[in-house]
Amino acid sequence: MREFQLGEFEEIVLLTVAVLFGEAYGVNIRHEIEHRLNRKVSVSALQTALRRMEQKGYLESSFGEATAIRGGKRKRYFRVTPFGKKALDSARTARESLWMAIPKVAFEFDK
Amino acid sequence: MSVSPHIPPGWIVRFFQWFCHPDYFEDIAGDLAEEYALYHRNHSKRRSDWWYFWQVFRLFRPAMMKRWHLVERYKTQIDMFKNYIKIGLRALWKFKAATTINVIGLSTGIAAFVLIGLYVNDEFGYDKHHEHAADIYRVTVKNYAADRTVSRQWAFASAGHASRIKEDYPEITHATRFYPWAFPDILRGDNKFASEQVVFADNDVFDTFTFPFLQGDPEHAFDDLYSIVLTEATAIKIFGNDWASQQIIGEQLILQRSGQKAPFKVTGVMENMPEQQHFHFDYLAPIRFIEMLFGEETVNNVGGNYNWLTYVRTASGANTKALEAKMNNEFWDKYIGTYRSGREARDFYDFELQPLLDIHLQSNLEGEYEVNGSLERVYIFGVIGILLLFVACVNYMNLATSHYSRRMKEVGVRKVIGAFRSTLVKQFLTESMLITVISFPLCLLLSHWALPYLNNIVDKQLTFDLFSEYYLILPVLALLVLVGLLAGFYPAVFLSRINLVNALKGEQMMNAGKWNFRSWLVTFQYAVTIALIFAIVVMESQMQYIRNSNPGYQREQVVNVDLPRGVNVETFRTEMLSNANIEKAALSSRIPTGRLMDSWGSRIFKGDSAVSSGFRLPYVSVDQHFLDTYEIELVAGENFREGMETFLSRDSTTRGYYIVNETATRAMGYSDPSLAVNAKIGYGPTEGRIIGVMKDFHFESLHSEIVPMMLMNSNNYNQMSLKVKPGNMRETLSFIEETWSVFAPELTPSYNFVDELFEEQYRQEKQWGIVIKVFAFIAILISCLGLVGLVGFIIETKLKEIGIRKVLGASTQSILVLVGSRFLALAGIAFVVALPIAYYFMDQWLDNFVYRTTISILLIVMPVIISVIITFIIISYQTMKAALMNPVECLKDE
Repeated sequence: MREFQLGEFEEIVLLTVAVLFGEAYGVNIRHEIEHRLNRKVSVSALQTALRRMEQKGYLESSFGEATAIRGGKRKRYFRVTPFGKKALDSARTARESLWMAIPKVAFEFDK
Repeated sequence: MSVSPHIPPGWIVRFFQWFCHPDYFEDIAGDLAEEYALYHRNHSKRRSDWWYFWQVFRLFRPAMMKRWHLVERYKTQIDMFKNYIKIGLRALWKFKAATTINVIGLSTGIAAFVLIGLYVNDEFGYDKHHEHAADIYRVTVKNYAADRTVSRQWAFASAGHASRIKEDYPEITHATRFYPWAFPDILRGDNKFASEQVVFADNDVFDTFTFPFLQGDPEHAFDDLYSIVLTEATAIKIFGNDWASQQIIGEQLILQRSGQKAPFKVTGVMENMPEQQHFHFDYLAPIRFIEMLFGEETVNNVGGNYNWLTYVRTASGANTKALEAKMNNEFWDKYIGTYRSGREARDFYDFELQPLLDIHLQSNLEGEYEVNGSLERVYIFGVIGILLLFVACVNYMNLATSHYSRRMKEVGVRKVIGAFRSTLVKQFLTESMLITVISFPLCLLLSHWALPYLNNIVDKQLTFDLFSEYYLILPVLALLVLVGLLAGFYPAVFLSRINLVNALKGEQMMNAGKWNFRSWLVTFQYAVTIALIFAIVVMESQMQYIRNSNPGYQREQVVNVDLPRGVNVETFRTEMLSNANIEKAALSSRIPTGRLMDSWGSRIFKGDSAVSSGFRLPYVSVDQHFLDTYEIELVAGENFREGMETFLSRDSTTRGYYIVNETATRAMGYSDPSLAVNAKIGYGPTEGRIIGVMKDFHFESLHSEIVPMMLMNSNNYNQMSLKVKPGNMRETLSFIEETWSVFAPELTPSYNFVDELFEEQYRQEKQWGIVIKVFAFIAILISCLGLVGLVGFIIETKLKEIGIRKVLGASTQSILVLVGSRFLALAGIAFVVALPIAYYFMDQWLDNFVYRTTISILLIVMPVIISVIITFIIISYQTMKAALMNPVECLKDE
């Protein structure tokens, strides 16, 4: 567990990068999270998370094409690495094992 | 796709590029540009710019930033610095007693220093705001007695001086006089305002001094004879807070004094005069009015009648010393020449040009417009401030070095790991800075709290507010750094010097019995304490001496009433005496505690020929009840009787009756006062005989010697002294007030108690004494605090020794002696060093008084006894604690 440190926001970003496979660059990722999860994400929060996860090795990136609207600046596409996948798996297992451990009676509120 | 017109503001992009990590910049900037364009579709340009700015601003965080050159370079240093602070804070926390003492000592020391600094700064700032301050001089006149000694030096000049010297000497470009007209009432329509001093000045006044006008034009303010310029405060008083919107220029004010009325037109409103100016007044009017009132003769007076404050402005860079010499060479010959007595006027007078900027601190002449400061006092204050700061720093040095044994291992380990000496010095300086920084808020609080008290005592409006007076921040920070370095320097050097091997072996590096620098520090503190106690004791004894000395007249139960002008003196007197509580009533031109300002030339007759006496013989005009009311004894001759008035006319029928004091008879050359009775003398325009000799008494304060003086009965009175019975004071006073209002309904009654006037003469010394005492007390307190800390520490390190001694049978007293003897030795050395210095300075100070107490053995011994007692109290309390402890407690571990 401890080897993969993944915050809640980081997990969301990582998953979104996976969702947008091939199209995952800053603007897209931000809009995807904002639309899907209906929460505000600042550029700075997103970028900080992306760079941190890249440093940790969960993500890798490469430059793509430049467009006029971007002032001629290239996009940077992110991809989840196998290590990143492991981290996601580990987070998911951890969560599921918790779900499994919940006794049924804990959620029976009506009685 | 064409280039979108929606591009983000360039400067924000550049800012982003400036701080952003170069690897990240391209794609993030691209993303942002794209988002900006998207955002702009739905929002205004302004909103979009804001949005963009906000995003960039949030990106301004370390994770996104480039590697800063500076930060990279000093990274280790910064890390070490963080470590110093951490260790420093731990040390402060661990030695709470020492920390508390240091914080209290340093914050009080710095606060006191700041307060003193404010005072000194204020004193040095007088009159500087005048644009031509450096070129303004006050014309003062020295009067010489026949033997060429200066008899008086006046802050004033004669009425005729200003215009003449301006005309004769081209170096002088402007000259103005100030003539204060005593307290006329101000009338505006039916409203009457309490009497105020109206000052009349020459037209040059606005070119000489800088009096900024809020309304009106200084160029033309005095064009008309009946013009008056008000200060803002006065404008508010007369016209209300909204004077500025009332168009008050041209309004009429009537000045009324003793029945005379004169209508003046307001021609200007100037800013209130700043505190830091050696004169203050609220009304300014053209002096031509006064000249008109007084007439030709007064206006052209060039020798005597010193009532006219005179200021000149010179061309900048003029050599005033040469000018002064030239003036003294020519002026008196040109305008006065030779007197009837055959003596030359130039032998009697000298001009002195006083630089404006020196007046407040260095001038103490006859008739200063206001009480000035004193340079000597500023220096004394400054020295005390510096001593305070030093004492507080010494506290820190002492405590920091005495804790060395506890830091020794740390220093050793640091050295082993590879700390240089310079690194250790930095570490300990960081600690001393840390404690000054911690003391700082407390210091601000203290000075903030104490400032109103100081203001109250020194009669100033000093302010200390770092928020509004931001220019103070820098000096205060500099002070902090200075104190930090000063306090930390010695401990840093000392602690970093510790030998590595010794440090780790835990060997005592500093033997408690050895004479070392720290002993000097303690000695210094003792010396300061002893010197200050000595100073306080001497000052107190001088004040006591003055308070108890008999001025030679009875001042208790005497009420002095200013005679209303134009009143019938005899009926007024009879009316006053009709009250059973008023026993005696005497009339005079001046009263004791006042100044002997009026004097004429006196001549002594030898046979039929008169010779000028050669000494100044001031007179006071009194009636026959004066001596009785003030209980002044006659040594010989008799008092005035009814009908003994001295006539002041110049015709041959003048008669004079004079009573002189003993000093005057000695000055005239009589070996016995009674021989002077019936001697014929001439006095000014009068001639007559001495009818009596009175015992010497202090008409003026004890600051000056008793000078020759005379009383005469010349019907020129403006004071009435009433001897009242004790008890029923309130009734008596209300009777006096009522009687006054019957005689002068339009004036406010004005009276004083003579004993209060007497005290008032020494008010400055008294106030000044309080301030010095308070600061000296603080210094002593800080020293004591340091001593407490030091003794506590020494006992702690000697606890085992004390334990063993007790086991071996030592008595409590012998332990007390063990600890105490060393401190007493230090105090002894301090005494030998401090006392001669303090004695020298206090002796100088006492020389300011003509009547001074002698510094007796008791005064010398007192500070020693006090400091020994203080030491004893501090030592015995802590030593007793150690000595009474069960030795098992301190010997059981290890």
